[in-house]
Amino acid sequence: MPLTDMPDFAGIILDDFATRNATRVDTPVILAAEPFLDMAGEDLRRRIFLTENERGESLCLRPEFTIPVCLRHIETATGTPKRYSYLGQVFRQRREGANEFYQAGIEDLGERDAASADARIVADALGCLQKVLPDKAFAVTIGDQAVFEAVVAALGLPAGWQRRLVRAFGQTDLLEAMIARLAKAQPVGGLSPEVELLLDTGDEAGLVTHLTNEMDRTGYLTNASRSPEEIVRRLKEKRLLAGVSLDATKLDALKEFLSINVSLRYAPGVLADFAKSANLPLEKAIEGFDARVAALGKAGASLADITWRAAFGRPLDYYTGLVFEITVRGGHDVLVGGGRYDRMLTLLGAKDHIPAVGFSMWLDRIERSLEVTR
Amino acid sequence: MSITIGLPSKGRMKDDASAIFERAGMKIVAVGNDRSYRGRVEGFDDVEIAFLSASEISREIGNGTVDFGVTGEDLVREGLAEADKRVEIAARLGFGHADVIVAVPDIWLDVETMADLGDVAAEFRARHGRRLAIATKYWRLTQQHFSSQHGIQLYRIVESLGATEGAPAAGQADIIVDITTTGSTLKANHLKVLSDGVILRSEACLVRARKPEHEGNPTVARIIKAVRSVL
Repeated sequence: MPLTDMPDFAGIILDDFATRNATRVDTPVILAAEPFLDMAGEDLRRRIFLTENERGESLCLRPEFTIPVCLRHIETATGTPKRYSYLGQVFRQRREGANEFYQAGIEDLGERDAASADARIVADALGCLQKVLPDKAFAVTIGDQAVFEAVVAALGLPAGWQRRLVRAFGQTDLLEAMIARLAKAQPVGGLSPEVELLLDTGDEAGLVTHLTNEMDRTGYLTNASRSPEEIVRRLKEKRLLAGVSLDATKLDALKEFLSINVSLRYAPGVLADFAKSANLPLEKAIEGFDARVAALGKAGASLADITWRAAFGRPLDYYTGLVFEITVRGGHDVLVGGGRYDRMLTLLGAKDHIPAVGFSMWLDRIERSLEVTR
Repeated sequence: MSITIGLPSKGRMKDDASAIFERAGMKIVAVGNDRSYRGRVEGFDDVEIAFLSASEISREIGNGTVDFGVTGEDLVREGLAEADKRVEIAARLGFGHADVIVAVPDIWLDVETMADLGDVAAEFRARHGRRLAIATKYWRLTQQHFSSQHGIQLYRIVESLGATEGAPAAGQADIIVDITTTGSTLKANHLKVLSDGVILRSEACLVRARKPEHEGNPTVARIIKAVRSVL
């Protein structure tokens, strides 16, 4: 079968989406590349198909749907809450698999009740998948950045360290390196005696003047990049952060938390026990977590099929809470990926804060699972 | 089968490469006049020389249109995806030294390491309404170093094809990824290299395209042996 053909089961997905209170939308295939690179970073560049128009603007073949669906929502000034669905081709450079394939998904924008929106999106993804692959059992893995943020905050680390750790959430190597660093304070070196003196005496204005003079002398524009004030502020913060270390008990608590990997049936109990034994005030995060578990139960998802892996997260700054993946039980291919991206719409230019959660199904991988069944 | 070696067509690189081959007993002579872009090697009837620009050499080795080439490792690693699968560095030639480095303005007193830069990049958008901008011609090396090695995703590359070291002062970018040999150009432009900001220590290399037909080819083995023997 030619790869460009829409999978046979696309109709099943569309019929299913129609019952899930979502407006079907389509987007152009050729899109401005800027928002994708801005959101996902330069690393995306080698994974998408880029071209230029005559005016030198970067264009790309649609690499995914979430960003264009959100942009469309902002441009058309549609009110919230609003749920969108899509099904169409996406284009990516991949080591394995075809470069053009289909994705389908739902984006839920503006629902203020995060727990039930999260639960509904997971239940939608599972429910749809069950219609396409009725003979399969599935495994859902979820992660929650909000809980990690709460743990890091409860450890009493300064804000700068909290931001660092949260930024590394989901990147095991980076996070481990940071945790290793937290075991021991590391003084800042390499500063001139003049700067050291200004820092020691707390002479912030003196430091700013020093930097402004340096920029004047060396011909740097003071408004083009980081300002003297910004550099001084971070230099002070860096000195503060460099002196920070965590005692062994707290380090162990952090490591213990990250090693949690438990069925969602037991997750609320495990999280509560962790908070108690580590003596960390996590009430609010636990409340949010438990509310989602309860909502998942109410939405009809089988908690036995869902695993909470505390270290599971994605390293992009627009993800804020839930992330999840669905595989066939015992399989490795991620058939559905999803999560909460509350920061994305503001980053894309929305004036109001619009909470958002969604998922995307990989139709090529689903097709492969189907072929295995046959 | 004849073996083609791509050599730099002009400048120091051409002279240094020719000198090494001559010491290795492979005197290179131009075919026709001395501005010709073809050459041959005395005593090696089955070897041809193609004089090419340095960046073309890495591309031609990647394509396998030449069997060997003399070019900078930086151009090989920048020009080719999965370079180690496609080419072999048969010998490091000891000239054309240049480091590919990450440099930031001297006045960024708070930035000494890539980790510092990670902190700055993460907050850049919130403070400046845009991502941290890096001026470079080394797209691939920059992405590998920032994204894969240091987990820094949030930055933008501003392509710079010349005078990259001037970009921060001129406000075109915040920092640079560029090559440096002595560091004097960086110094003159009030830039400093991060302590873990050396992406690659590059030099001119004899690079071989990984081709199955090289297996057991006596000329291929002879060329590598000859060049290695004089290093």
